Parts: sequence; structure tokens; C-alpha cells
Amino acid sequence: MIPFNLERAESLEQALEFLDRDGTEVKIIAGGTDLMVELREISPGEKGPGTVLDITPIDEIRGIKDDGSTITVGALTPHREISSSPIILQYAPLLASACSTVGAAQHRNIATIGGNVINGSPAADSVPALVALNAEAVFQSKSGERVSLLKDIYLKPYQTDIKDDEILTAVRFPRLPEGATSSYIKLGRRNALAISRMNVAVVLVIKDGEITEARISPGSTTPTPDRITTAEELLIGKEPSEELFRRAGQAVSEEMINRSGRRWSTPYKEPVIAALTARALGEAAGEGV
Amino acid sequence: MKKLKLNITVNGQKHTLKIDPNLRLLDLLRENLHLTGTKEGCGIGECGACTVILDGRAVNSCLILAGQCEGREITTIEGVTPEDGLSPLQQSFLDNGAVQCGFCTPGMILSARALLDHNPTPTEAEIREAISGNLCRCTGYTQIVEAIQAVADGREEQQGSL
Amino acid sequence: MNQNPEIIGTSPKRVDVREKVTGAARYGSDLKMEGMLYAKVKHAEYPHAKILSVKTGRAKKLKGVAAVATAADVPGNPAFGAIIIDNQPIAGDKVRYLGDAVAVVAAETEAIAEKAVSLIKVKYKELPGLFDPRDALKPDAPLIHEDGNLIVHHKTRRGDIEAGFAAADRVIERSYSVQRVDHAYIEPEVVVAYFEPDGTLVVKGSHQSIFNIRSAVSGVMGLPLSKVRIVQASLGGSFGGKDDVMSVLSCRAGILAQQTGRPVMLSNSREDSLIESYKRHPYFMDYKVGVKNDGTITAMEIKMVADGGAYASMTQFVTWRSVVHATGPYRVPHVKTDVYGVYTNNTYTGAFRGFGSPQITFAYESLMDEIAEELGMEPLEFRRINILHDNDITATGQILDHTVSVGQALDVTTSASGWEEKRARFPKENSGRIMKRGIGLACSYRGVALGAEGVDATGATVRIHSDGSVDVATGLVEMGQGLKTIFSQIVAAELGIPIDKIQYRPTDTSLIVDGGPTVASRSTIMGGSAVKKAAIGVRERLFQAVSEKLDVAPEDLIAADEKIMLKNDPSRSVAFLEAIALALETGLNLSCFGWHLSPPIWWDEEAGKGDAYFTYVYACQIAEVEVDPETGKVNVVEVWAAHDVGKAINPDTVRGQIYGGVATAIGYGLLEDVEMVDGVTKTMNMDEYLIPTAMDVGKINAIILENYDKYGPYGAKSIAEPTAELCAPAIANAVYHATGKRIRDLPLNLERIVLGHKLIKKKRRVR
Repeated sequence: MIPFNLERAESLEQALEFLDRDGTEVKIIAGGTDLMVELREISPGEKGPGTVLDITPIDEIRGIKDDGSTITVGALTPHREISSSPIILQYAPLLASACSTVGAAQHRNIATIGGNVINGSPAADSVPALVALNAEAVFQSKSGERVSLLKDIYLKPYQTDIKDDEILTAVRFPRLPEGATSSYIKLGRRNALAISRMNVAVVLVIKDGEITEARISPGSTTPTPDRITTAEELLIGKEPSEELFRRAGQAVSEEMINRSGRRWSTPYKEPVIAALTARALGEAAGEGV
Repeated sequence: MKKLKLNITVNGQKHTLKIDPNLRLLDLLRENLHLTGTKEGCGIGECGACTVILDGRAVNSCLILAGQCEGREITTIEGVTPEDGLSPLQQSFLDNGAVQCGFCTPGMILSARALLDHNPTPTEAEIREAISGNLCRCTGYTQIVEAIQAVADGREEQQGSL
Repeated sequence: MNQNPEIIGTSPKRVDVREKVTGAARYGSDLKMEGMLYAKVKHAEYPHAKILSVKTGRAKKLKGVAAVATAADVPGNPAFGAIIIDNQPIAGDKVRYLGDAVAVVAAETEAIAEKAVSLIKVKYKELPGLFDPRDALKPDAPLIHEDGNLIVHHKTRRGDIEAGFAAADRVIERSYSVQRVDHAYIEPEVVVAYFEPDGTLVVKGSHQSIFNIRSAVSGVMGLPLSKVRIVQASLGGSFGGKDDVMSVLSCRAGILAQQTGRPVMLSNSREDSLIESYKRHPYFMDYKVGVKNDGTITAMEIKMVADGGAYASMTQFVTWRSVVHATGPYRVPHVKTDVYGVYTNNTYTGAFRGFGSPQITFAYESLMDEIAEELGMEPLEFRRINILHDNDITATGQILDHTVSVGQALDVTTSASGWEEKRARFPKENSGRIMKRGIGLACSYRGVALGAEGVDATGATVRIHSDGSVDVATGLVEMGQGLKTIFSQIVAAELGIPIDKIQYRPTDTSLIVDGGPTVASRSTIMGGSAVKKAAIGVRERLFQAVSEKLDVAPEDLIAADEKIMLKNDPSRSVAFLEAIALALETGLNLSCFGWHLSPPIWWDEEAGKGDAYFTYVYACQIAEVEVDPETGKVNVVEVWAAHDVGKAINPDTVRGQIYGGVATAIGYGLLEDVEMVDGVTKTMNMDEYLIPTAMDVGKINAIILENYDKYGPYGAKSIAEPTAELCAPAIANAVYHATGKRIRDLPLNLERIVLGHKLIKKKRRVR
């Protein structure tokens, strides 16, 4: 492992102070499950971070809060805590389910949602669920707080708009609306310890047999995470049916190709994301569809 | 690289050490503390051979900087071995043919222990999930699952703590 | 006579496991020594290139570097090899794959060694590479070694192939291919090398076949065999994988130890291991089969090309096993099989659990289902028409003079799995399901031990000490399979003492004579026979002493319950301890060496015929799967695996072998692939090289069949390798049953199931 200095931040204030002084060559470590692999792969001679800033001790940005309408998940909250949280299970079950599919127990025990968000992997498990929840990302710097719609922080794969002096402190999202149902499906090569080949998160609100709200958020599909409104719009005002969900799946495939072009993996991804989307919508709509 | 001061509790024993900032928890255990029961198989948290228990939860010690463990408690395979004899999980691995080459065994036992500490009566599916981050190339996992199940079912005699 | 039969066929606790569950067992990386240096390797930067210069000056000057060695520093032969001497621990004039070393460094810490490696500058002249083995024998193919790209061509000939096809109602042709896979032992390779004051080079580490490694090190170091000691540490998995690569590591570390006069540890990272260590051979296999409408096979013509990679390694032997078994466990009167092993600039390939059988089993067992379908038969019915029976003749002309149990294996697995009912029911239920169910089978026969590929003999020493403790030494090694326990059981049985009285001596080439490699699932049948002979030998001396004391004939005595007693009157006995004292008093030697040579077998390479192995094992595995045809995901729900082992000396260990082999084959069938593009390994660690987790291996039902074999100790034959050769084709056949998709290339990954072919990723940068 290449050499670097390790600084520990005991409080958010201390961490922001440190980043404000010199944020350019600093890598932030929390759970470490992505960063440690990245550091290992830097060969001697290649440039690494001068300093690694450990934010693990900062308790103020850990934990799950619910104020009755908005749920705030501290950036340092590990995936295991999210997937077993009664608040999340009740008001954002798709996020619980997404977090339960990350890596294996060893990863979920320590890897944080903040890390999953900021690493910016197109295959991140929690991100499609957060995007389907219309989540916001909350950043702090010495100069104050910045809030952005989570999907808008992504510039390209593995790159977000986080500034050198900022820390992601939380993700927050409104509780799912009354009567909403949701689903998250992950497709990996293995049944555990798998990177998502593709995944999809959906939310449906069905009133009197008619879809009144739909959110579809696929992973490993578009260059940056997003809801696919062309597919969502197809559903609004319609009666749920297998055929309708198939068409919505198709629309997701089409949008994938619009945004990413035809690539080496498209022959596989094109039918598969359509099928996963249709299936997730079916699961969310429940029996009888 | 500035050396770092670290206070850490390993297997109930407190240590104060000066360490390199880029030292992994795995290296601290193996090199500095000579606890070589913790193994390295991949270095990227994919095989689970380096699994230890950190504040009650199973983690891959190759993915944690030693310097991140200030004030924290670590349990390694050496720490779950009673002074005379074996813990029920260790005994059960021995009795159920759950060990072949043995390289994954310490990590496997620690994942199993972390599971049983939080869920003393797991289903087979829960056992498989709990050890899914510990790769084994010899056993096909069958006898490992049976060994953990035997402890959960109380079929292995209790010899001290889990 | 068997003295203490109770312990044979039981599963006492393994003798090597207490230290493994406590973490006390010492593996290679745990062998730290005073003053030890750490080594790192400068690998090739092109898969095929002439080395013009290697500049090591800056590396040598780095603080903390003790030595930098290049090919010029190799004291003995530049290369080693089993038959063809072509594998260079440090490459001199040319690199042939990216795992070649151009230099090795020893330094005070691993970090310094790594830094030093980055300072070594090498100039190359890049040569055109050869990456597809099917191109190797073309006239314009780049030459990887001077004598041409053909490593070996084996053939099998039986009957008259043209007459065979003429007698057929139909001729069916199919092609199959299998991928390159890694052993993926959880412990990467590691050695520690140092010199004793008397000039003996000791190399401890994760060694499999210690005598093969000794001979490589002796040649490359220019030391007599007697001055090289190879000592095995606890071995963290091997599966055939820790032989040639360990020779390479041992030589590299040995050279650095010689240059520095200090102990040197060389340990591979997982990335090093994936790039450098040899793999299982990828094969391309073309089958042409003549069959009558009644289901009788009349002829098989088979051509295969095996990718040997940059060095020959075990290619001659691996492909020989393929050529012998290529027709599967079926009666085929007319056979023409040709197998070509060739060089490429890919990672070299060698031994891996199965050794030329997982490849061909995938082909011939997929093929059996395909032919059955063409004939409108059920796969089971078609196999039953053609399977081998007692006294049948194999493709190589050998008469099978033992119990041929492939039919029995088919019977028990089909009955245990509910085969007939599921074959009929699943297709009906599948129409309304997302996850389609299917069930498929595969069977095989397998020659036991080395066969006519070489002399097969091995030895063991059993010593009885004055206090009643006993120790055993063999040249065959424990690698997790349970050898120490099984050999200890044999000693306990023959001496009539409890197993805990027996100590297993270190695995060290200086302690015992060369007993061949620990390969070919030969340990129980060959090593077990040698251990038995040694134990009987030493027991006879106790009987001699006791017979004088009791005034009876030695042949009337038996050893049991820690006593030597009269067979017909157990009340007349002498305690084991007392018998030892009597023997020692009369000056008898209570150490005995047993040597076992395999029964005669032969092979005529020119004619492609012979009695290839002295006995065979038979097996059948059935896989039940669920397939998601929309995403390509396959789950193995349950497996039934029946293996004839002759006699299960330790049934728990046999089951452990079956479970492990099935899991490995599930990985082979569905997940594993060391992808190389133009000689560059793209699968660099275990996040990309995917082996099954506990959630990917379904329920496995291990079924042990026992048909006594006259050549094995207590009738035992072998297990280990056949367990890993069957599940991939069983899965492929089950996937076909579930979906109607026939996939003829492994692995059956997501893309192949959905698209029918693999996705080809664009090139990655060369390291």
C-alpha cells in the first residue's frame, strides 16, 4: 500500500476545518470498502492521496431520523442498519431491500450509505432506490450547507459534483406516499457478494384501480442515475397490467439506448432491463397483475 | 508518513501502539500483534479469510485501516479459543467435517459467531447468508452449514461462551 | 488380515483440524524468520517479446534493497519442466506470457521491494502474439518455442472408423468449448527459502507435490537433490494448482536467498496469482458420432485442441487423460480420437482437479443428451443402451475386469432425485412460471491414479516408539482432502491401536524417499497401500516377539484393542506396550518402510491403444436447476451425486470431497472464467473471478457406492477428481430441459443464457 497520512476527525466541525485548509489531496474514508480497494490498486510511483481523512468517529452524521414527513439518513449509517431499520422498512422498504443486497455481511456492517452514494458506481445498490425516493443529498462545508437532488450530483460514472471542501452528511427523502407500493430488484451473477449487473427500483401509487403515480429508477442503465419519465408517463392514468408493465420496461430500454448509445453490452442489457422493470412493477402492483 | 498513536483492544487486551498510517487492521493483527490466525486471501474484501469481529460485527480486516480502530474492540480467532479446549463452534467444525484445508476456517468461525451472537436460532438460509462473504473452495459449504446449525440447535455441548 | 476393522469405514475426527479451528496452524505466510527479506517480481510487460535489456541499477540503489536478480543470476539450468524443459523462473532472452518474470527483488520490506520493482526498466522488442490455440498449427503462426507450437498430439484408435460410420443410421456432429479457469484456492502461493549452514537449500511453503518441486529447484539452482529440502507448510488449498507455480516461486526465492545469505519470503498477491499461476486448459472439441436408430452408438470421431499457454507443464499428461476417456463411459466399437496440446501466449495451463476430464465430460455428456433428442429418446434411455458393463472393452481396447458401476450410479441417482417424474412434470409447469425448472444428468468413468502416463509407486514409513506412540511419514501430502486422517486410520486398524496414538510427521523431502506427486486422486489407493504395508511390516515384528513369549505361531495372532492376542483365544494376549518392550529387548527394528507399486498397465502411443489404468471409478450426478430465461440467471437447487469409491475408509471425508467437487463444478458451469484478451488477464481478483458462495451452492446429496476393488486397500479406490467433472454438463442438460436452450460453451453465464453467446468486451490497457 502506498504511503499517506491518516487524520482522524472527531467532529464534523473538525473535519470541515481540515478540508477547508487543504482539501485537494485528501481522500475521505468511512467504511472503506471502496476506498481501500482503490488505494491498494495505486502502484508505487503513481500518485496517491497525500492524506486520508477518517470521518468514522463523527457520530452526528450517523443514524436514521424521521420527522413525520422526511426521513434523514446520516451519511455514516451502515447498510445493515438501514436494511433493518423499522423506519426504513415502513416508509421506504425499497431502500431497505436495496441495502440488504450490498456485498456480504462484512460489507453491510461497515460500508456506509454515504460511501455508496459518493463512490458513484453505476452499479451502486442503494442509489436507484434513493433516486426513486426523490432523495436529496446534503453537503456541508465551512461555508455552509448545500442541498441537491441526489440524482443531480452525478456528473459521470464514478464522478459527483462534491467539492474538495465538502462532506456528504446525509441523504433525505420524503416518506413514500400513503398507499404507495415499491419494489427493488437486483440482478447479480451470484446470489451474494455480487456487483449488480443491473438493478431497478420502482414506486407505484394505485388508486381505485388506476395508477396515479409511478417512479422508475434503473441502475447500470444510464450514464448517471435517473428516473425514466418516458416510462413513468406511460403508466399514469392506466390500469395496471402485465402488458402495460412490459411496455414501460420497453420504454426504459429505449431510453437507455437514447442516453448511452449502443455498446458492447447492449444486446444483453436491452431485453434484460425491460424484463426487470416489468417484473419490479408487477411486484409493486402486487397479486393479480 | 506521520506515525500514529493507536489505542485498541484486541481479544480483551488493551494495546497502545505507534503505527504507520497506511497499516491495515489485518497487518496490525498479523505483523504487529503476531495473531496469524487471521488470513489474507485477496486483499480486497472478497474472500473473507481476514474476517474479524469489530465491536460485535464481522468485518474484513483488509478493508479497514488500523488507524480507524482507535478505542475499538477486535476479536480474532485466537480470542474465541478458550484456554483449554475449543469453543462450541470450533468443536462443531471439528465434529462435522467442516474443515478441509482450513484457510477459510478462522474467518468462517468468526462470521458464524457474529451471527449467533445476534441471532442464536438462525435458519439454514440465514446461516448461508451470514457466511456468504466467506469463500471456501474445499467444502462446498455443506458441512460448514451443518456445523453452525448444530451449535444453534444446541446439539454441540456448551463449553464456555460461544 | 484386517486387524481392527471397526475404524475402517468410520469417520473419526480429522487429525489435522484442531490447529486449524484455533488459527494455530502455520501456513506459508505465517513462517516469519529472523532477518527475513521480502521478494517481489518484475513481470513481463508484453505477452510475447524479446528482452533487449533489463536495467536494475536504480532498483539496486534503493535503500533497503538487498538483491535484484535477473536470468543472468540463475546458477543452474535456465528452465525446468516435467517432460519438456521450458519453464523459466526468470526469463532470459524472451517473455512468453505476462506472468513471466524478468527480474526479482529482495528487500527489507514488501513495500520497498514493490518500489524497487517499479524502478526496473526493461526494453523489449514486441513479437506477434498467438492467443487462439486453433491458430497454433497454422503455417504462419508465431513460434513461441523454437521446436514449434505443438506440445503433444495423442490419439486413440479402435476398430475401423469408416466402417463404424457406414453402419450408422445417422451421423451427428457437434462442437463444444470450455474456458480457462483458476484453482482459486483461498491461500495464494507463498514460499520462504533459506540456506542451512551445510549448504542445503530449504524451501518451505504452500507446496503440493514436494518431490516435483525439489527436482525443479535442484536443476535451476544447480544443487544435488540431496541438498534441496522442500517442506510443506499447512496448505491452504491446492486442487492440482500448487506444483509448477511453486517450483517457480521456490527457484526465485532460492536465488535471492543465495545472493543475500538471508531467508527470503516470496508471497503472491491474488492479482499475481491470477496472472502468473497456471490454469485449467481451455479446450475446443469437435465430436462426430454414428448412431443407429435403435440408439446404439457405432462410431465416434473426435478432435480436440487444448490451449497449453506459454509452457508445457502437464499438458502431455492432461491431454492423455482426455484422449483415453473422450468417448465417455459408453461402448463405442469404432473410435478415432486426436487431441492436440499447443503453445500460445496465454497463461500456461496444467493440473487442476479433473485433469483433462471436466472438459471432455462437458462435451460428451452434453452430446449424449443431444443425440438422445435427435433420436426421440429420453437421455436416460439412450445412455442405458450404450453404457459400459462388466468385462466390456473401452475405447482404448482395455477389458474392464472389475465391477463397472456406471449403471448402478445411474439407477441410484435417478431414483433418489425423482428423475422420471420431474422430467415429465417440469415442462408442464414451466409455461406459467418466470423461473423455469429443469433436471439434467451426467455420468463418467475415470481411470484411477497416474495410469500408463508413468511409473506409479509410493512409500511410507511407520515407526513404533517405546512408549507406544506411533508415527507415520509419507511423501504424499495433506492439502485438506483428509490424507493424514485416512492414513492414520489405516495404521490404527493394522496395529489395533486408537488413532490418537498416531502422529503424522512433517511433509519434508528430507524425511522420506520420493513417492511421486500427490495428484490423480491416487493417495488413498497408492499411498494407503504403502502405509498399510509399512504398518503390517512393523506389526509382524511385534508378532514375532509375542509369538515367542506366548509360544504360538505368529500367523495365529491379531492386533486389536491395544493388545496382541491369539486369534482364537483373545484371553491369551500381551498388551501393545509390553509387545513393544519384548520386541525392543530382542533387538527388533520397530520402524518399517512400505513401498507400493501399481499393477502392470501399458500404453502404445503409436497405436493409440492400451490398458490405460489398472482400475476405474464410475459416477453419476444429477442437477436440478431453476433458470430465469429473461435475465439468464441459473440457480442450482439440488444435486444428487453418486460415486463408486470401492470402499469409503472415511465416509465423512468422501462426502466432503463430493460437496467440494460439486461446488467447484457449479462454478465451472455457471460463473468462472479467467478472461484474457490478447494475452492480457482481465480477471484480476476475486471481485471478477467469481467462485460460488454459500448462497450459490444448493443442497447436495452425496451418495457413496462401494464395490470392492482388488487393487485398493480394504477395496478402496478413489474420490477427489471425479466429483468435479460432472456437474457442469448436468447443469447444461438441466438448463436445456428447463428452457430448450442448448449452450455448448462454458460458462453458462447470464449473457450466454439470454443471447446464446458471450459478450466480448473491448480491450483493456496492457499493464
